[in-house]
Amino acid sequence: MSTGHSKAAKEFLKNQTYAKWHDATFWAVRSKRDNMAYGLDEWEQLREKASQIKRHTITHLDEYLDQFATNAEKNGCIVHWAKDANEFNEIVYGILKNHNVKKIVKSKSMLTEECGMNPYLEEHGIEVVETDLGERIIQLKGQAPSHIVMPAIHLNHDDVGELFEEKLGSEKGNHDPTYLTYVARLSLRNEFLTADAGMTGGNFGIAETGDIVVCTNEGNADMSTSCPKLHIAAIGLEKIIPNYDCLAVFQRMLCRAGTGQPTTTFTSHFRKARPTAHPMHIVLVDNGRSEWIGNPEHWEALKCIRCGSCMNTCPVYRRSGGYSYSYFIPGPIGINLGMLRDPQKHSGNVSACTLCNSCQTVCPAKVNLGDQIYLWRQQLDEFGTANPEKKLICKGLGTVYGSSGIYNLGTALAHWANIIPSPLMNCGLNPWAEGHKMMEFPKKPFHKLIKEIEK
Amino acid sequence: MSNKEDILKKYRANVREKYDMPDLSDIKAITYNDPLVQFIKMTESVGGHVIEVKEGQDINELVKEMYPDAKEIASNLPEVTIATRNPDTVGRARDLNGTDVGIIRGQFGVAENACVWIPQTMKEKAVCFISENLVILLPKSQIVNNMHEAYKRIKFDETYDGYGTFISGPSKTADIAQVLVMGAQAARSATILLLPE
Amino acid sequence: MKIGLFIPCYVDVVYPQVGVATYKLLKHLGLDVTYPLNQTCCGQPMANAGFEKQAIPLAEKFEDKFKEFDYVVAPSVSCTAFVKLNYSRLLEGKHECLTSSKIMDVVEFLHDVIKVNHPLGTFPHKVSLHNSCHGVRELGLSSPSEEHVTPFNKIKDLLNLVEGIQVLEPERPDECCGFGGMFAIEETAVSAQMGLDKVQRHMKTGARFITGPDCSCLMHMAGVAKKQGLNVEFKHVVEILAAGL
Repeated sequence: MSTGHSKAAKEFLKNQTYAKWHDATFWAVRSKRDNMAYGLDEWEQLREKASQIKRHTITHLDEYLDQFATNAEKNGCIVHWAKDANEFNEIVYGILKNHNVKKIVKSKSMLTEECGMNPYLEEHGIEVVETDLGERIIQLKGQAPSHIVMPAIHLNHDDVGELFEEKLGSEKGNHDPTYLTYVARLSLRNEFLTADAGMTGGNFGIAETGDIVVCTNEGNADMSTSCPKLHIAAIGLEKIIPNYDCLAVFQRMLCRAGTGQPTTTFTSHFRKARPTAHPMHIVLVDNGRSEWIGNPEHWEALKCIRCGSCMNTCPVYRRSGGYSYSYFIPGPIGINLGMLRDPQKHSGNVSACTLCNSCQTVCPAKVNLGDQIYLWRQQLDEFGTANPEKKLICKGLGTVYGSSGIYNLGTALAHWANIIPSPLMNCGLNPWAEGHKMMEFPKKPFHKLIKEIEK
Repeated sequence: MSNKEDILKKYRANVREKYDMPDLSDIKAITYNDPLVQFIKMTESVGGHVIEVKEGQDINELVKEMYPDAKEIASNLPEVTIATRNPDTVGRARDLNGTDVGIIRGQFGVAENACVWIPQTMKEKAVCFISENLVILLPKSQIVNNMHEAYKRIKFDETYDGYGTFISGPSKTADIAQVLVMGAQAARSATILLLPE
Repeated sequence: MKIGLFIPCYVDVVYPQVGVATYKLLKHLGLDVTYPLNQTCCGQPMANAGFEKQAIPLAEKFEDKFKEFDYVVAPSVSCTAFVKLNYSRLLEGKHECLTSSKIMDVVEFLHDVIKVNHPLGTFPHKVSLHNSCHGVRELGLSSPSEEHVTPFNKIKDLLNLVEGIQVLEPERPDECCGFGGMFAIEETAVSAQMGLDKVQRHMKTGARFITGPDCSCLMHMAGVAKKQGLNVEFKHVVEILAAGL
């Protein structure tokens, strides 16, 4: 009874040294988040407000989107609307082509990953340079991100050292992270200075003012937009929030929840292009969001602010890593978004969860992640992806539990399992025996013992 | 029908139950007995430095003392006399590369997280990021407690009204094996000069 | 106050002594407790696996068996949580649902309803407390470590009434043990790793016993511990509360 995830997780855990480091590293981030949360008496109040703000906003999003676009246009920005990933890529390419862009530098955007923008632009002859250090590392390595905030976490400093030796000409054998960061700085500095355009994502879009707000620690979004003469901002519909009072709530929680810092180094508001640059372009992207809002069990996934704290707290993510999941976003939010994106393709992730609910207890916007995973499981049969063995087992359980007669007979015989020879009990057909020594079945079940006690 | 209309129409049609905006005025946000003390503490904890400028002290002398080897200093501030470059008069933003010290003005600081609100007040905002070391002049009485207070007062410059940013300490990253390194793509150090009123 | 005792399927078959301890403890406290015969299962295993509709006939049976009682008490946080949080939804339009508001886990019942405040049994040992996920995050038996709330732990409060006991908590006090029902046989590697990590953290406290409010967690950890040759014992909370009575 295995899935893509369970097989990949098994492989992941074979390297016990790395697996323990991965688990400890993300638990440390969770702990830092805890310290932030315990340090603000208003933390739970903020979570509740954030949840309510999001519920209001995403159920009135058409109004806020209209307000945002109107204000952005009043500011002199050019606003585009992309109904899906393909349209997004075409729009971006069109803008770049019109400005004769050969090279674009970009800051981190899960949305551009979602739309497959980089390969599209590269196919069309445009060089794309990721400038978030983690994203740049995996770009040079030709890999996908394994976490939405720490995309290169699966690589250690030797992996990065060897990569930089090969791709950036760094000093052979010098794998000190400070040195490697400096090598990347110099390399990226050159890219910022010679790029024709810069692209950012958007952590938030402010309806009342038309601002695109981008939060980074590295300053790469600001470098990407301060030197090249063209700035394109890509933002998913659901990232629009009403006003600055709302922004304060989210800005205070985003980094505390995601990395355990009180703030990102830079919280930048882009209202219009700088005077020496071309007008700023903003691309609003739907790509399924206008459908998901209508899903009665899963619309609250749109509240997500992409902080990553659900992954950090997930005991399964920590012990299986981002690459074990079939969707490009891993962990609890990834399981849910993957199912919204393509339920047939991503059903395997849905069982990568013990329903411990730590994720929804940590989520700054109170997305009901664990509850939603439970609900997705109920739909697998309808999607045609329910595991047949599981289905059979549950049918069997249903029969046994459905009849007291069968149940009582079964439980009377259970203790005979104690004498089944070990090689037979621990064979491949008994997955419980893989990780456990079989339990002893007492001679008498409780329902027999109670009769003796009551006498 | 335009893409915009298509998308908005579809969204509108799919929304089910609607929810009201909550009241945000009852948020009990953190406040400090001495916001300035907290601001200084937080700045240091995020890797920044704070220097309290004394009454009558010349900030130009101070910057020269802080960076004796600095060759290129970029600023458009009238009180800065030691600038070798001016972000208002450079030909291109990239000409600011190689700046050892960029000196800019902050409007106010935020105690809870060491953020300083810096609206764009120069032609090329690259000076805020491209400089190896950043020096931010900040009036020491202008410290608010938290981001709720901050977002009630941020203002953009009248001329350069397209951009503003909160900067908290130097740029940093932990993307390589989770080891924290100061100085990622922007300034490698950030120093706040607290100005007396 | 009429109490109906619900003994979940796996407690019935694998840990009947937990059922016995629960019955004896409630009786010792002078309570009117009945064990209705022919109980089977609450339906949680199938529901968590994605077949919650199969829990409906079981829920109907459960309702019929327990609706006359004032409280339904079970020594299992996961089963209690399942009935409490899902039965009214599952039975809507099909069958009345009274038990979802009557069911309580034995710990929360003793703590919140009976408000036990006097010494209980004797158990002069160091125990490491396992805060089962359903107890923490669905029944509110203790403050979740994720939340900024005033810390509390009902299980600990009750255990501290036992003479001679020393109650300790492991690092990562409410991280999941990795059982998760079908998860344990579907994601065998991750489940076993989580179980082992949890047992090792419990053992690091120096405790000889690991105790918690749910036998499924204990069953999983015990199986992993035995397989790895780890020398630690397991007892359900109610067994300790009733020890020596």
